[in-house]
Amino acid sequence: MHSAYGIPISWYLTLSAVLFCVGLFGMMTRRSAIGMLLSIELMLNAANINLVAFGSYLKMATIAGQVFAIFVITLAAAEAAVGLAVVINIYRLEHHIDADKISVMKG
Amino acid sequence: MQILGFTITGYQIAFVALAGLTVVAAIMTVLVPNILRAALFLGLALFGTAGLYVLLNAPFLAAVQVMIYVGAITTMIILAIFLSHRVMKIGFLQAIYNPVLAAGAAGVMFLFLFITVANSRWLKAIVAEGPTKANAGVEAVAQALLQPYVFPFELASVVLLAVLVGAIVIAKEDTEDA
Repeated sequence: MHSAYGIPISWYLTLSAVLFCVGLFGMMTRRSAIGMLLSIELMLNAANINLVAFGSYLKMATIAGQVFAIFVITLAAAEAAVGLAVVINIYRLEHHIDADKISVMKG
Repeated sequence: MQILGFTITGYQIAFVALAGLTVVAAIMTVLVPNILRAALFLGLALFGTAGLYVLLNAPFLAAVQVMIYVGAITTMIILAIFLSHRVMKIGFLQAIYNPVLAAGAAGVMFLFLFITVANSRWLKAIVAEGPTKANAGVEAVAQALLQPYVFPFELASVVLLAVLVGAIVIAKEDTEDA
């Protein structure tokens, strides 16, 4: 597989950096809570690519990269479920989900 | 295959195609004003990532990615969009705020990461030229999850149970107030 493969790990790391920065851009430009959640998923995904790439490229072969990625996916699903429940609840109270204007928790 | 003196492998073609799909879909996710389309583009980006996992010799993770990310999380986000933009009273369209400033900050972050990747000497010392032929299939993942990582694995199930209950409690309509 080595000689025929021809993809150095830096390709994967660069791709992951691009995806992370796109997510960062989305995080800064979106105002709606759901739009920000989409960007968070993108950034988590970029981190996952990094983990899996290192897991399969390391000379000392390890499965840990894949296992970490599975835990990240699990927690991303949990985070999305709770986050969307909060968003729906906020929408019910305030009739918008603009993260800058949410004032439910203001004392 | 030889193109202009460079040897191009099938793996490289697959990588460029999948990476291009993923990056374009990700950029569309953050740029499209229609939030519903953005969610669908996110699904496409996650699907492209599943292809990259196959290329990285992690077939089980690719299946998990398609089932959980593309199947479950994207569906959940789309349902939440429908619930919170109730019959388009708000409308799906949203403005993009401060794009220049955000692009600048993200660009600086990318430069930093890219320089780190390009300059790293330690990378060459620990990393092989291609995926090492370790057994990375379902059996290896299952053994890793149930032997060295059994404690985090069980912890994850507790977290999922808590999230299940918590999400229902938070999202439930408060009948006393309403």
